[in-house]
Amino acid sequence: MPKILVVDDEEHIRLLYSEELKEAGYEVITAENGYKLMERIEDEKPDLVILDIKMVDYNGLDILQDLRNHFYDLPVILSTAYDTFKEDTKSIAADFYVVKSFDLTELKKKIAMALETRLPT
Amino acid sequence: MPYYEENPHQITQADMVVAIPSFNEAEAIGRTAELAARSLTEFFGHLKCVLINCDNHSGDGTKEAFFAAPGEIPKIYLSTPSNLQGKGNNLRNLFEKVRDLQAQATVVIEADIKNLAPYWIKNLGEPLLKGAGYVCPLYVRHKYELTLTSSIIYPLIRCLYGRRVRQPDVGDFGFSGKLVNAFLDLPVWTESVQQFGIDIWMTTIALHSRLPICQSIIGSPKVHRLKDPYAHMSVLFRQIVGTIFDMMDVYADFWKQVKWSKPTALYGTDAHDVETPLPVEVNMEKLHEKFLQGFDKYSDLWQHVYDQTVCPKLQEIRSLGLQHFSFPTQTWARILFDAAVAYHRAEASEKERVLDSLLPLYLGKVLSFVKKTERMSQQQAEEYIENECMIFEENKPYLVKTWD
Repeated sequence: MPKILVVDDEEHIRLLYSEELKEAGYEVITAENGYKLMERIEDEKPDLVILDIKMVDYNGLDILQDLRNHFYDLPVILSTAYDTFKEDTKSIAADFYVVKSFDLTELKKKIAMALETRLPT
Repeated sequence: MPYYEENPHQITQADMVVAIPSFNEAEAIGRTAELAARSLTEFFGHLKCVLINCDNHSGDGTKEAFFAAPGEIPKIYLSTPSNLQGKGNNLRNLFEKVRDLQAQATVVIEADIKNLAPYWIKNLGEPLLKGAGYVCPLYVRHKYELTLTSSIIYPLIRCLYGRRVRQPDVGDFGFSGKLVNAFLDLPVWTESVQQFGIDIWMTTIALHSRLPICQSIIGSPKVHRLKDPYAHMSVLFRQIVGTIFDMMDVYADFWKQVKWSKPTALYGTDAHDVETPLPVEVNMEKLHEKFLQGFDKYSDLWQHVYDQTVCPKLQEIRSLGLQHFSFPTQTWARILFDAAVAYHRAEASEKERVLDSLLPLYLGKVLSFVKKTERMSQQQAEEYIENECMIFEENKPYLVKTWD
């Protein structure tokens, strides 16, 4: 069962994503910010990360930079309430992005694509 | 390959190399070499560095201008024999020299960049010292600059090799010592690779190597000597697209396994303010005229090369006229895939004609892109290209199916 790490400072989003993604057949773990995130990923080895961009005290795009530098091929989906982040070049280091919504159809589609992505070893 | 060398400091080992390929660049190379030396001193002073000019036996004093450039970094001059030209041959000499020197990192920078700044070399070199295998720059580009990259190279390379490298062929890059042997294996060494196909040839080998690729944000446009976009266009088109198609033959077992695509790491995200791209004028009438001329010249060939749905679609596009001109991306992806397959199957003598027949269709696609994105911001035009890339990736199974 693919393991997904949801990083978001809003509790209701973490709950919503957890419930819906568990129902869709994923194992879900959560983090409320970027604190010791790299160590957490090292320990828990998620297959994919869903990352909020605007968190209190944390900029998701900076976390994305760290993630890409530490875990080159780990799929990351940016999740945001605003699409102005696309003006920041840092966002191109994400596999996909979704605009936050209570309907997770788009998010689930992007998760499936990110997990399906195949590069020869 | 034999080459001529002048190595006045008798350098036999280096950690870091900055190389400047050239042909008759006496006017420009002195400044480029000076800035490169300044960058190496400022940012890589703890390493053993060397500057290399890999030249094409220039007769205009390029070598003398290179050696005369101020700076404390030792210099080596390499040249092809007088009868051998092309950037690819320059770089092949460089690969051999880099292997001899056992350099960990090499940055290649073109000789005629007018606005080169020392931090560009830092941004291309530093990721290599932190584990990247290959570094491509991300220059600020106007939406109508690099149309060959936006319409063909980026979407095709991305869907084939599964990595999103936005400017994979802009002439400047960094590569690690680990890649040098892969380059010297010469999976393909055609006349096109020896000329301007070399940039995409290197990127393709890097993608195939699976070493980490990094895109380095430069934050500036790259300002060159002024060039007429239509001069040499058919030659450049043949060399670059032909090289992509040739490499598809070599790496078919690899790219057939790739599904969707992944981003690369980024470097230089915080360093500098992003400049505004320089304006680019597009002559839409000329593009339209060249697209229409293709029907007179290549209609018969198109019937053979393209899937039966394509030619009626092309007639439909032709009938739209300039005002309502539109070239659907789905059709464009199908055309490129069919052209690659036709090239793969063609006799050596026919391959060039397959490429030539694709050129007017490419110009039609550029025209369509210009019309679609006329009122879009740079950012919106980028998103438009990203969506086009997704269409290429969605349609890739067709290419895999028709290839064999």
